[in-house]
Amino acid sequence: MNPSQIAKVARREYLTRVRSKAFILMTVMIPVLMGGYIFVMPVLFTSSGTDELRIAVVDAGTGLAPALTGQLAAIEQPRIEVAEQAVVPDDSEGVRQPYTEAVLDGSLDGYLVLTPDPVIGARSRYYARETGNPVMLRDIERAIEATLLDRLVAGTGVDTERVRAWQRFDLDAVTVSDEGESEGGFEAAFFSTFALAMLLYMAVLINGQGMAMAIVEEKSSRLIEVILGAVTATEFMTGKILGVLGSGLTQLGIWVGALLLGVLYAAPMLSMGPELAEFDLGAVLSLELILYFSIFFALGYFLYSVFFATIAATCTSTEELGQAMFAAVLPMVVALMSSFYVIANPGTVATRVLSLLPPFTPLVMLARVNVLTPPLWEIWLGIALLGLGIVASGWLAAKIFRYALLMHGKRPTLPELMSVIRAG
Amino acid sequence: MPPPALRCQDLVKTFAGTTAVAGLNLNVPAGAIFGLLGPNGSGKTSTIRTSLGLYVPDGGHVELLGSRDPLAVRHRVGYLPEERGLYAKMKVAEQLTFLAAIRGLDQAEAARRARAWLDRVGLAANAKSDTGDLSKGMQQKVQFAAAVIHEPDLIVLDEPFTGLDPINTRLLKDLILEQRDRGATVVLSTHLMEQVEALCESICLIHRGRPVLDGVVADIRAGHGRNTVAVEYEGDGAGPLTDLPGVRRGEDTGQEARLELAPGADPQAVIRAVVDRVAIRSVRLEHPSLEDIYLERVGASSSPAAEDAS
Repeated sequence: MNPSQIAKVARREYLTRVRSKAFILMTVMIPVLMGGYIFVMPVLFTSSGTDELRIAVVDAGTGLAPALTGQLAAIEQPRIEVAEQAVVPDDSEGVRQPYTEAVLDGSLDGYLVLTPDPVIGARSRYYARETGNPVMLRDIERAIEATLLDRLVAGTGVDTERVRAWQRFDLDAVTVSDEGESEGGFEAAFFSTFALAMLLYMAVLINGQGMAMAIVEEKSSRLIEVILGAVTATEFMTGKILGVLGSGLTQLGIWVGALLLGVLYAAPMLSMGPELAEFDLGAVLSLELILYFSIFFALGYFLYSVFFATIAATCTSTEELGQAMFAAVLPMVVALMSSFYVIANPGTVATRVLSLLPPFTPLVMLARVNVLTPPLWEIWLGIALLGLGIVASGWLAAKIFRYALLMHGKRPTLPELMSVIRAG
Repeated sequence: MPPPALRCQDLVKTFAGTTAVAGLNLNVPAGAIFGLLGPNGSGKTSTIRTSLGLYVPDGGHVELLGSRDPLAVRHRVGYLPEERGLYAKMKVAEQLTFLAAIRGLDQAEAARRARAWLDRVGLAANAKSDTGDLSKGMQQKVQFAAAVIHEPDLIVLDEPFTGLDPINTRLLKDLILEQRDRGATVVLSTHLMEQVEALCESICLIHRGRPVLDGVVADIRAGHGRNTVAVEYEGDGAGPLTDLPGVRRGEDTGQEARLELAPGADPQAVIRAVVDRVAIRSVRLEHPSLEDIYLERVGASSSPAAEDAS
């Protein structure tokens, strides 16, 4: 293998990938979509249409209406104006009739019916044309909870604020390993595994598919004969994959850069919901995680690119390629599925075995690192096996390449490929 | 005498039971234009691919530019495959630069030569176009440039004239001769016998994976003797001249005829019979053309069908 030949092929492949419309579009679209999801959705949720709701509080015998009205007044987005408080005998349809009409003719946005309950004090229903805003419903629910709590502890000397604090009790999971302790647990594992899966999937699909199409194009146009007259099949394949690797890393770099910019500049400027304010980015993104994430992304991407290149080499038309591509994506889908199992069962033998199988290592091992950090030797064994997997599949791919690239008209059969591999 | 540019010894190449090349011996003298002829499916392309190391031979061996390992001398070889392809979405100049660079030129030199060649084949104005937007003939010129841009010692051209108009055919012919004058050996695989006669010093005619005729073109023709009467005449519908006594076979278009004499026939008698039959414009007693020889060697035994799997 001649490194300068590989570099020339890689350079061409890299430039072609990076300049392709699919690359530019996806590289820009992903951060925009992600940003849209993270920053715009909460804003959309909290300000769904109106800034102010006119509602009625209809009390069928709990006596809570005045206290609840006070609690509702504290809600800010959307502000809730209690237009009417009424005491009624029950919540039958006939009794509710005038309020329903008011909702229908638009003079009220909704009404809240309170009925007595022997255990918790009251039950409540909210009637409105629009009941789809979960943030608003939760705010109303909290207001009712607070009202009930106030009545429950009234006269006992218990501080309602302390009770509220207890209600928000949260179990913090701390992962203990040889390297020390780390907080996070399920959420962090889920978040980063899923993010890796998404990024890997996107990058492989966009760049790997582009490369695979190019290989089929080179085959069907016979350009491959000219190229193979100048570089070896192995140099050709290695160059292509390195070029694709480079374009994928460029893409990842842009995405990570956009994420950091977003976190540093955009986040404070936007008024985010309470959820996001509590979200501790530092706990999720440790330096260690970033390191492993990068390693597994690069190696996983490399391995899958080899799969794509090999499969492309055996195809003679883009239609065939479309069908065969499934085989290259399948291990990634299986890995993603099994990583949910891994997050729930980080210590089992099945998990440990799965995390050491190269096609699954990137996602599964990363999930393990997050949930219950495995011994360091196991992580690096996984990385080493992944590296070996890349070398081995690259070696196989090179043989298949040399044989299959010059075949036209029909795809090589599996037995044919096996004999090529055996023949050396 | 310098060693041959390409030598194939008992070369065998089979595909899934089908023999494409069956014990071929080939000697391509250095510094000349060599014609590799044969009908479709005769094994020309397989011979070329095996000679260049794209296929591994199943028997015999290849000596390319003095090396038993064709891949070791790959940068001294230029190849224009029969079926043409370029990166459709790549700019013409970039593409040519890339193809030059992978042949071992450094980037700057590759770019410089790419510009010079585009100028040479009249495509300087298209340097920044997407290659896919060029006409077929233009793309073919780009591909020819790609095959010779690294000044290889051996140039293999598989059907280089297909689809070219007369002006570009002339240009390509000049470019091929230029390469020979530079000292390169050219292997020309084509069906166009006039091009072979105009360009090639020696040939090898392959049929069913075996050579059926090879040697220096002039010797081959002379070896067949002056046994062909070439006639141009005023078409008068007097019936084909091929049924004249003493004519073994021939071809008559109604204005021109080439008549191959039967062994032992008297040429003078045949010419007299022609003059009696039609009003002639010219008549010559010639060596058979390569096309005649080709048809004689290949024509009888090959059926055009089932012959398209090179």
